[in-house]
Amino acid sequence: MAVDITDQNFINALIEKERRAQKSGGRWLVVPIIALTVAYLTPFYYLFVTIFKTTEEYATSGVLDLPNSLAPIVDNVVQAWTLANLGEAAINSLTYAGIGAALAVAFAAAAAYGMTRLKLIGANGWFMLIFTGTLFPFQMYLVPLLFGYQRLGLVNSWLGMLLIYVAICIPFPLLVLRNSFSGITHEVDEAARIEGASEWRVFISMIIPNATGPLIALFLLQFTFIWNDLLFSSILANGIEVRSIMVALQSLQGTYSTTGPNVVITATLISSIPTVLMFIVLRRYFMAGLQLGSK
Amino acid sequence: MASNATQMLSPEVMRMAQARERSSAWQQTRVAWIFIAPAVIMVTIFLLTPVVFNVILSFTKWRKFTGLDQFAGFANYQRLFVVPYFSEALGNTALWVVGAIIFPLALGLGLALLLRNIPFQETFKSLYFLPKVLAPTAVGAIWYYVYAPHGVINSAVSGLTGSEFDFGWIFVPETVTLSIIFTFVWQTVGITMVLLLLGLAAIPRDPLEAARVDGASQWQIFRHIIWPLLMPTVLVVTILNVAAGFTTFDLLWVMASSYPGKRTLSLAVYMYYESFSNGAWAYGSAVAVVLGGMVITVSAALAVVQSRVEKSIR
Repeated sequence: MAVDITDQNFINALIEKERRAQKSGGRWLVVPIIALTVAYLTPFYYLFVTIFKTTEEYATSGVLDLPNSLAPIVDNVVQAWTLANLGEAAINSLTYAGIGAALAVAFAAAAAYGMTRLKLIGANGWFMLIFTGTLFPFQMYLVPLLFGYQRLGLVNSWLGMLLIYVAICIPFPLLVLRNSFSGITHEVDEAARIEGASEWRVFISMIIPNATGPLIALFLLQFTFIWNDLLFSSILANGIEVRSIMVALQSLQGTYSTTGPNVVITATLISSIPTVLMFIVLRRYFMAGLQLGSK
Repeated sequence: MASNATQMLSPEVMRMAQARERSSAWQQTRVAWIFIAPAVIMVTIFLLTPVVFNVILSFTKWRKFTGLDQFAGFANYQRLFVVPYFSEALGNTALWVVGAIIFPLALGLGLALLLRNIPFQETFKSLYFLPKVLAPTAVGAIWYYVYAPHGVINSAVSGLTGSEFDFGWIFVPETVTLSIIFTFVWQTVGITMVLLLLGLAAIPRDPLEAARVDGASQWQIFRHIIWPLLMPTVLVVTILNVAAGFTTFDLLWVMASSYPGKRTLSLAVYMYYESFSNGAWAYGSAVAVVLGGMVITVSAALAVVQSRVEKSIR
């Protein structure tokens, strides 16, 4: 019984059979997948029942029990807000992350423009110099930065935090933007130059508008990095007026803390609001940004 | 005559043209300097200078309140081999790196293959991605209570078995590192899965169908077609996770806040502890240099593997 392998109908039938087998197999898998997903999401369930409990209720009821009422969340938020000075810390982090990420991406974009669209003698050398900034673990920056900041009076200052965040957020966007800028056709800026446009003008009105996607994605990635940072801020700025939201959050939790778990958990949720919101609103860019991060 | 003239003129014309080109190149370079200046200055001052200074520091006797002038040679490095904390931290870092490579990859791949052909795929994908949206510090604080005595895990086990179960997951040396690695995996498996799904989607359908028609088993198809074609994605994921395995700090610092031996939990924590809790700045710098050396060596090795794999696929 020889099978004619050029018989399209036969092959289609085979593929169809295979597909059907796969699909019905897939249906059976739903049960273990749902079980796994429920277990995976248990910490989130814990988070959402805990923010509605009072400290006393947390201590006496089971940790996974549903709360008695929704009202305690108000007091939890107020306590987290006042005990850790979360409001001030949130404003600090918002300015570090917003201004820091914007400046870093702007500097990286300008550098990428200089390296890809202009004749820059030694462009590769300059690129390698900046790229070197991604090779070392952050642990190698910490002690010298603290030393230098003490000499310059930048410890516990808003400006000092901003400066290190800008510097550390430059190399990766440069890497990405160098690729996306060199993908833009050269006719665009040649034409503008012949019309007599300055380089600055070409950069602002020809190149930037052609790369808004990567620019937004990079801004979001760097914003999230700065907002989430605990390492630099815990060393360079732990004073209450300049400390970041993560340092404030960490001060609530731990051995010497007497704050109830319900308040700490509420604070974790508050401190995640900006990044969660950003993720929901700009999911498309964020996913694009993650793909950038993997290249 | 005419041809003679061109021959006589041409070297000079050529030279002039070259000179003009060169001067315009320099002119453009000067403009380009203005564009790259902010990035170059920021990176040089705040990233590269500290690295150089960090290496110099590691050869001094500097502590928090003493002068910088005394050089110590290799004393700080010699001390690394004497102090038991260092070798413990080194061992735990090795555990972190291996764990950060294997667990997210194995689980992420399993999830990616499971979720590929089921209904509501997008919803499941988003759910597994959710922890990544939280800050590591927030995740650490939540999991601190998940592992706590009478915390989520102990309560769940008690509830399921019906007898009182109370284990100090992040308070005893036997389980503290693995427990924190588990939390790390919980947070990173989603993004690993998303990246692997992108890699899977890029695999051409034809060889898969052909293998199926030829009667290849699911395992054979995976082993001989999917896995080799997925290799570039696997390497990207590995490179990202190795770096995290070496340097994760926030999760450890927050979750181990009640663990007495926290300095031994990884080199990143040991470096921080010695420098900023103990004030041994020069010694902490030496630990940072060792950590940096390892990160750079391993990253370079992975980059070599990556370029080979990419060549072999083309």
